[in-house]
Amino acid sequence: MILTGKEIEKEVNARKITIDPFKTSHLTTNSYDLTLGDILLKYKEKILDPKKNNKYKEITIPKKGFVLRKGSFHLGCSREKIGSDAYVPIIHARSGIARLGLFIHVTADLIDIGSHGVITFQLFATLPVKIYPGMELAQVSFWQPKGEIVLYSGKYQDSVGPKTSLSYLGNNK
Amino acid sequence: MILTGKEIIKEVSNGNITIQPFNFIQINPNSYNYRLSKTIKVFKNMTGPKPVFREALIPKEGIVLEPRQLYLAHTLEVIGSKKYAMSLIGRSSLGRLGLFLQVSANLGHTTSEHQWTLELVATQKIRLYSNMLIGQISFWENKGHIKLYRGQYGRLDETQESLLH
Repeated sequence: MILTGKEIEKEVNARKITIDPFKTSHLTTNSYDLTLGDILLKYKEKILDPKKNNKYKEITIPKKGFVLRKGSFHLGCSREKIGSDAYVPIIHARSGIARLGLFIHVTADLIDIGSHGVITFQLFATLPVKIYPGMELAQVSFWQPKGEIVLYSGKYQDSVGPKTSLSYLGNNK
Repeated sequence: MILTGKEIIKEVSNGNITIQPFNFIQINPNSYNYRLSKTIKVFKNMTGPKPVFREALIPKEGIVLEPRQLYLAHTLEVIGSKKYAMSLIGRSSLGRLGLFLQVSANLGHTTSEHQWTLELVATQKIRLYSNMLIGQISFWENKGHIKLYRGQYGRLDETQESLLH
């Protein structure tokens, strides 16, 4: 089952869901709107390799906005710290963003129970699109799990800012 | 409801979920990590309306995917369930490298059981290795009567191209 906006608010107050900072105005019928953090990461490698620590550069998004070129890939992050030890979060674009042809993730929308930190966005632009720091870009929904819960304790725990792939660490998590 | 990792393990031992081969280390808090096949299909050209693919063995040093090209591969594991619906996506570690894994069809029908065909599109050049942990599958409870899946893909192993034509 998916939580309604009201239920998300209730569970934030009951400390079963962390959304920090939390504003009731960002609640929707079944989700919470996430805003874009100030930093983007762009890989500098000609060929990305999951076995390597791929080099990247950091870009600060100016207040007047930053244009993602058509076909470009950047990592961004949410300003909000998100997590729950009781529910499974799933990340989506806001439909207004998707209608501009911007992917906010390219495959992995599912977050592990017990994972806490800011969300890393996988930004892929199919059209040139200007993005601004603090804009409402994405949404998170919360889903009820079934079964005994073992909390996430993987390599992306407590992320601050966007995090590049840590697949080179080789472990399963 | 989405099954937790512990519940997935339970339902694998109860026979309600098939993951073959199954390895405990690949369990996540609410999904299971699957591996990439030994082969990959590379788009060659179009003959009339139908795309033609060339199948290649992924060498030990890996295969480099060109950006914005469709590749087809499959899961090393046979995965399915008579009881749950499934959602098959990539791992966040691969998404963070700009790899689309499943272009939009992540939903797996209850009662299908096979090696899943993967649709891979890279946004930047990326090297992939056979057997690597590449994606994750989650299992979801159904509501309502389950009708046997009769589609054309649900029993097929190996990499299946589109059968629309």
